[in-house]
Amino acid sequence: MAVTADSIAQLATVEKSRGYWRSVGARFLRDKVAVCAGLVAAGLILMAIFAPWIAPADPLDGSMIKRLSPIGTEGYPLGADELGRDMLSRLIHGARLSLFMGVVPVLIAFAIGGAIGIAAGYLGGWVNTITMRVLDVLYAFPSVLLAIAISGALGAGILNGLLSLTVVFIPPIARVAESVTTSVRKLEYIEAAQASGASSLRIVRDHVLGNVLGPIFVYATSLISVSMILAAGLSFLGLGVSPPNAEWGLMLNTLRNAIYVQPWLAALPGVMIFLTSISFNMLSDGLRSAMDVKQ
Amino acid sequence: MKTPILSAHNLVKHFNAGGFGAARKVVRAVDDVSFELARGETLGVVGESGCGKSTTARLLVQLLTPDSGGVRYDGKVVGPDMPLRAFRSKVQMVFQDSFASLNPRMTMIDAVAFGPSVHGVPKAEARRKAQGLLERVGLDPARFGGRYAHELSGGQRQRVNIARALAFDPQVIVLDEAVSALDKSVEAQVLNLLMDLRRERGLTYVFISHDLNVVRHISDRVMVMYLGEVAEIGPAERLYSEPRHPYTEALLAAMPSLDPDRRTLEAPLAGDPPNPIDPPPGCRFHTRCASAFGPCASKVPAPHSLGGGHVAACHLNSSKEHAA
Amino acid sequence: MISFILRRVVYTVPIMLGVSLVCFALVHISPGDPLVSILPPDASVELQEQMMAIYGFDRSYPEQFMRWLGLAVQGDLGNSIATGRPVATEVFNAVGNTLILAVTATIIGFTLGGLFGFVAGYFRDSWIDKLATAISVIGVSVPHYWLGMVMVIIFSVELRWLPATGAGPGGSSQWVWDWEHMQYLILPAITMSVIPMGIVARTVRALVADILQQEFVAGLRAKGLLDRGVLAHVIKNAAPTALAVMGLQLGYLLGGSILIETVFSWPGTGFLLGQAIFQRDLPLLQGTILVLAMFFVILNLLVDVAQTALDPRLQRG
Repeated sequence: MAVTADSIAQLATVEKSRGYWRSVGARFLRDKVAVCAGLVAAGLILMAIFAPWIAPADPLDGSMIKRLSPIGTEGYPLGADELGRDMLSRLIHGARLSLFMGVVPVLIAFAIGGAIGIAAGYLGGWVNTITMRVLDVLYAFPSVLLAIAISGALGAGILNGLLSLTVVFIPPIARVAESVTTSVRKLEYIEAAQASGASSLRIVRDHVLGNVLGPIFVYATSLISVSMILAAGLSFLGLGVSPPNAEWGLMLNTLRNAIYVQPWLAALPGVMIFLTSISFNMLSDGLRSAMDVKQ
Repeated sequence: MKTPILSAHNLVKHFNAGGFGAARKVVRAVDDVSFELARGETLGVVGESGCGKSTTARLLVQLLTPDSGGVRYDGKVVGPDMPLRAFRSKVQMVFQDSFASLNPRMTMIDAVAFGPSVHGVPKAEARRKAQGLLERVGLDPARFGGRYAHELSGGQRQRVNIARALAFDPQVIVLDEAVSALDKSVEAQVLNLLMDLRRERGLTYVFISHDLNVVRHISDRVMVMYLGEVAEIGPAERLYSEPRHPYTEALLAAMPSLDPDRRTLEAPLAGDPPNPIDPPPGCRFHTRCASAFGPCASKVPAPHSLGGGHVAACHLNSSKEHAA
Repeated sequence: MISFILRRVVYTVPIMLGVSLVCFALVHISPGDPLVSILPPDASVELQEQMMAIYGFDRSYPEQFMRWLGLAVQGDLGNSIATGRPVATEVFNAVGNTLILAVTATIIGFTLGGLFGFVAGYFRDSWIDKLATAISVIGVSVPHYWLGMVMVIIFSVELRWLPATGAGPGGSSQWVWDWEHMQYLILPAITMSVIPMGIVARTVRALVADILQQEFVAGLRAKGLLDRGVLAHVIKNAAPTALAVMGLQLGYLLGGSILIETVFSWPGTGFLLGQAIFQRDLPLLQGTILVLAMFFVILNLLVDVAQTALDPRLQRG
């Protein structure tokens, strides 16, 4: 082995070779706020998954005598809603649909928007121009308006809600994907890969994806809380989820008139939305900082 | 005359720089560049920033498609007579930015093994080959193979890049400012490595650099470029001792020297390098040339052969008034 | 510079065309017969065909689109199926109210947000910074319709200081800037200002912290410029991006006011939109969305131009 000045200097700092993601993980774990947020988010997800086992009562079972019982009533720790159903159980079950409507559209948009953006970014030229211009048209609508417009046109229902939210999120994700891919594409290791004779598909798979999916994914996670709030907003307007399902936005809608009778009860579903949204936001922020450190 | 292993024929490459219609701006990066490369020789390419060296390098390696003109390998036109894939395993390139040349998510051994695996070599064998190459360029595969680009120094990374180019068993390697970004001592080591490899494997190099000393040290012939055109080309020693183009003279005069007898009192080159978007008419160098005369402002000088493979594109050579 | 503006304006045209296409398509993806709300269920086939002809539903889609677009450009957006009044009139009346709300919310949000952000960026990493950052994170994460509800609970139900819904004694058409009317404006405006405040605060903080970090600021400080001079400099450099963000936020407020307006029953375009959806009033839905989207597009254009005027480096080739 040739002994060079370089290698001797390096001997002093020999450490086990660490992958990029492992160092991201280490940095993330040092950020207390982000870890806290992550735990809360994880807790909420677990609550949603195990809802039928955790909830004390049936969320759809209501007794009109008990309607709008205040918080702390015997047998109804968080009160009862306008149809006499146990609030605690409905809130716990509500996590399922609310998280579902928050995560699924973003996931699908990540897949579709990511693919479109990466393709446009790598291929460049007129493919890129046309794709981005078409996306610009959708981007020209404020997202709330677009979601409501599509939902409003299609009508209420979970599937329609999912569809409209997915469409709303595809353009921003595609934009980020295109921008990241374009900046990666200019780097010399892509040129070197092209000079090796590899096909475009292979280059994308082996060289582009690994470097590009990370930032796109982090951006997508920052959209989860937006999606949740938007989905709950749709239900709040009477689109999206329909009764008698338990979903936080829908609950806010149906309890609206109760604010004069049981104000704090009516506000409870919003607390859940807020809690989920803020923990996902901080989680995503923490992830972004952990990935952002310059080498 | 033996067939040159690589030859460029009237390469032209222009880039758009914005503007529409009449206001369209075009960067004339490479304008009618031709040269030949004999097997086993090293051609140095020098010139200031913006002269088209890097663009020419990429045209040569087929990373860019020329607007007109072509590249031939062993006499065969790349594309029609020689499939691109086969060409790729014969001609490779090492870039200036050693860090940007490596995928930050790939280990060094995988980076070197990628090339062979693209050409059908099974993974295990490609890895073994990569290990051998890392060893050859001076990096212990056990220590460096599993590392990532950010864990290596500049010199080490460039060695990996060289190993990566060698993995194809190429005949020609284009080195685009490959040592320019390294510290001087490291630069010397990498140059030595390159020269050893050249001897061992009979490689042909195109060595692009702005450092005239290094180029002289490593090259058999040297090509001087200015604003997208070839100003002069010839055997290294001849070019350095008897330059026949005012630009070459100026470049050589501008080289700093430790010899107090060779102090420069005046800057040999006047003015700023003009814009490749709007090159001067006639000889592109005439606006900064101390010896410019009559035809220089209007007629583009044709390459004039001065014997022994020495060619210069300057009106002074074809006019009888030029003193030897 | 002029050429950039021209190009940007020209580019807006295909976008507007695309937007109108989307608006047009929206109505036609909706399931069910568009005439269901007008015709009685036992209407004869002839009557159905007649109505279809009047509304133009019997022609091909491209024809319908051109017809609709042609009329829209002249200001005729059809008639609301529910009220029979021209859509354009309804929207026009509502826009005024939304603008009152949105502009007020914008002013509050930007001022507070700008202040918070500036302070946070200037005193980076201090407790002021952490507090301001916390407030802005909350601002961005909170569902604003819920916040509206909470505000109503606190100020209308519990404390009875402010009214909960509506836009004042004059209803949707008479707005006067007096206390009698403005008391209805306070809660919705503050609620609406929270999200832009959060975003503006975040952006301004990042900008200010970034600029202060740059080396030439250290140079200015070393030259002995009073902190006031540095302040002015920071403001000048942060202005373009800050303006851009603010412009976008205004656009979002205009387009996204529906939820707040629903909570507070504020008679603006958002409220109108809600009505249209609830009543399946497709011409009204279509017209309102078109107007709101166009607003947003033009706003984006203005922001782009203003931003480039302030910072010529942003001109793209």
